[in-house]
Order: sequence, then structure tokens, then C-alpha cells
Amino acid sequence: MIELRNITLKYGEREILKNVSLTIKDNTIKAILGPSGVGKSTILKLMLGLIKPNSGQVFVDGTDITSLKEPELYPIRRKMGMVFQGNALFDSMSISENLGFFLRENLKLPEAEVQERVAEQIKFSGLEGYEDQLPENLSGGMRKRVAIGRALIFKPHMILFDEPTAGLDPVSSKRILHLIRTLQQSSNLGAVIVTHIIDDVFSIADHAAVLYQGEIIFDDETEKLHQSEHPFIRSILSDKILEL
Amino acid sequence: MPLTVIRSLENNLSLKAKDFLLTMQDFFLFSMRAFFTLPKLKRYWRDFLDQATICGTDSIPIVLVSAISIGSLLAIEVGNLLEDFGAKTMLGRSTSISVIRELGPLLMGLMLSARFGSRNGAELGAMKISEQIDALRAFGTDPVAKLVMPRLAAALVMFIPLTALSDFAGLQSAAYLAEHYHHLDPGIFWNAVYPRLGPKDFVVGFAKAPVFAIIITLVSSYNGFIAKGGTAGVGRATIKGIVVSSGLVLIANFYVSKIVLENM
Repeated sequence: MIELRNITLKYGEREILKNVSLTIKDNTIKAILGPSGVGKSTILKLMLGLIKPNSGQVFVDGTDITSLKEPELYPIRRKMGMVFQGNALFDSMSISENLGFFLRENLKLPEAEVQERVAEQIKFSGLEGYEDQLPENLSGGMRKRVAIGRALIFKPHMILFDEPTAGLDPVSSKRILHLIRTLQQSSNLGAVIVTHIIDDVFSIADHAAVLYQGEIIFDDETEKLHQSEHPFIRSILSDKILEL
Repeated sequence: MPLTVIRSLENNLSLKAKDFLLTMQDFFLFSMRAFFTLPKLKRYWRDFLDQATICGTDSIPIVLVSAISIGSLLAIEVGNLLEDFGAKTMLGRSTSISVIRELGPLLMGLMLSARFGSRNGAELGAMKISEQIDALRAFGTDPVAKLVMPRLAAALVMFIPLTALSDFAGLQSAAYLAEHYHHLDPGIFWNAVYPRLGPKDFVVGFAKAPVFAIIITLVSSYNGFIAKGGTAGVGRATIKGIVVSSGLVLIANFYVSKIVLENM
């Protein structure tokens, strides 16, 4: 379980997050919805301890990670997988090298086991035959699937997705969302999805939180969004997409 | 000037001073982390070898070109000057001191600042912009240990033989020009070089190699690590890395010479 408690974050004089509190339970999919540049991706980075808040605490499975030093954060981060918006694949490495990189880097596994886990992820992501290709030779959807495969390599219990369908065509988007749902159902994985596409939220998320002007204005079951009277939520429900 | 303008100028200056101090603090901590991770070198030996090839073997042509050109130029100009005083036989002495103490290491440092430093800044900057450095951290890998420490270790190891190569090429080219331009017998040239070169001359020259290695690697890598603002940001980080490290190489060159010469 991940919990953000009264988080405040400033970049210079600009207050990005104002007293934000959120809870993400295991085995559920939670979407964080909001316009571009509002601080959604920042929330994911806070959950991983990549940035520290000005005030407030972040708990991962009961451990307050805000006070931990960088090396102490590494084992905690491995409990979560992260799929970056631009995928953040290593462009000089092949697909299989990208998938196996962190296993070789951080776990002292025998090479045979590394190969086995990589093959498992390649099969799961539907990328058989592309093992030796560089990321630049793949389509956007395929790159996203590699990034998801890499996020699963440590067998985490929670995956964080930063705009998983941004820039993808409708077919690839649907496939990625299906993949996320499959993961939750087959592996009991929890997920946090940061998005500005409201259709994605309704098609996949059990719970949703809406971030607006640095504050959480809604945090409940996704279907209850329809009952919200907040003018911003009413407007996004009618417009469906937040290109603000 | 209106008072409000003066106040805003004052505020801007104090903000810039604060930014500068924070950057210095950040750079200091970054550098410490790079040094403290050196014991992990065994784990990253492949990265070390890659970087040693980039900053060492691959840099040989540019180091040779700059050393040969400066050695040749020095032989011609100094030879002409000495000829006026009838002291052309001292050409070996003056050239060797200039090359070994100062110009060999300095030119090597400046060339590597441009070549190795720009590569570090651009490569790490692109990794920062594309969130690859965040990905390393997110998956539990220390990016400084993985990306900076092998570069630092490779530079520390490779800059010394490159300095030797630069000295050798500079002296050889000076000797060639002394013989073919000033018609000075090679025996006379080399006789003025070897017996008179003392340990102090070599210490001055070779002490600069590790200093330059540290400056170039850490400044360029740090600028890559803090790159922001898309591809233009990578460009800015690369330029800043080269400009700052080249400036620091020139300053360090002076101080290393001064300190060694005053204490030996």
C-alpha cells in the first residue's frame, strides 16, 4: 500500500502540490486524473522517493520513505515498477538487454534465470522476434510494452504508469490498457495510472483521484465521478480529454 | 535610478548568489558521491573499459595533432628568437621545458575537455532529458556509480599516458623542425633536452593529468545530470560543461605549476 500524507511540494516559489493526501491499496487500479502540468507525474516520483516533498510523508507498505537515504530507498523502489511517459528505455541496448539490465545490475541471479525472466517478459509483452532490436526500431506501442515488461522484471506488487497511452494510436492504447487490466487480474498487481484521458480512467480504474490546481478535489470509486458537482469535474466529463 | 529598480536588481543578485551557492553545494556532493563509489569499480569494469577506450584510445589522434602542431610551432618561433641571440643550441632545452611542464598537458587537457567533456555532457544530458537517469534510480541503481564513476576512473587512468604521448609527440615534432627548419644537429637538440630535464619538470607536467581528469569528468557529467529543457537543454548543458571545464583547466594549470615549482 502507498500512502501520501499531507504532501506539500514547491518548485521555487510555485506551489505544485498543496496538502495532498492519497492512498493506493494493493491489488487495485487507481487513476490520478488532471490537466497537463498540474503535478501528476510528480506524485509518481514522490511515491518512488525520486523527489522529496517540502512537507508531509510518503508511506510505502508502512515505511516512511521521505526520511530515507538514497541507498535505503533502492529495495523499496524494487517493490514498485515504473513505466515512464517516454518509456525511458536505454537506447543503446537491445530489447532483451533493456529487460535484463536491472536484473543483472541489482540481483545476483544466475545468467540462466535472467534469460528465463527476460524470455517470460518478451512473451508476455508479445515481442517475440524483436529481442535483438533497438528501441528506436519499434513502434510507440511496442516500446511501451517493453517498458511495461521492464517494470515487471522484479515481480513488483505495484506498477506506476505515467500517461501510459499518451501519444499512442487508439489500437495500441486499447492494447496497453488491456495489458494493465490483465496484469491486475492475473498477477494481483496494483497500479497507479497518471493520465489526462478520462476514457482511460473509466475503462480501467477502480478508483480515481482528480488533481486540480495542486489539490485533490475528488478521491473515490471511479463511477462516483459522475455524481461529483465540482465544476472542473463536470467540465472534464463533458469534454472527455484534458488538453489544457 | 528609481528605488524599485535598485531593489529588484538587489533581489536578482541575491537570488543569483543563492543559486550559485546551491549549485556549488550540489556539485560538491555530486563529486563526493563519484569518489565514494570508486570501490564499486570492479562491478562496473565493463563501463570502465568502454570509457577508457573513449577517453584514451579514441582520443589519441586529437592529442597527437595538437601536440605535434604546438611542438612544431614552438620550435620555429623559439628557434628564430634564440637565433637572434646566437643561442640556437638551447632550442632543445627551452622547447622541452615548455612542452613537458606546460603545453603538453595543457593542450591535452583542453582537447579532452572538448572531446571527452562534450561527449559526457551530451550523453548524460540526453539520458536525463529522456528520464533514463530517473529510470536507473527508480529501479534501484545508483546513476552516479553506474555513469559517472567509471568515467572518472577511466580519465584518471588514461590521462597520464595521454600526457606522456602528448609530451613525446610535441618533443619529436620540435626535434624534427629543429633539424629541418633550423638545420640544428639532432644530437645537439637532444643533448640540450635530456641531461637538463629534472624530476621537477616531469612532476609539474604529470601532476596536472589527474587534476584535469577530475575537473573535466565531474564538471561535464554534472552539467549533463542537471540538464533540463529538452534538446536545447542538452545543448546548453554540453556547452556549459566544455566552457567551465576548459576555464578550470587553464586555472588549474597555473596553480599546479605554481605549487609544484614553489615546493620542489
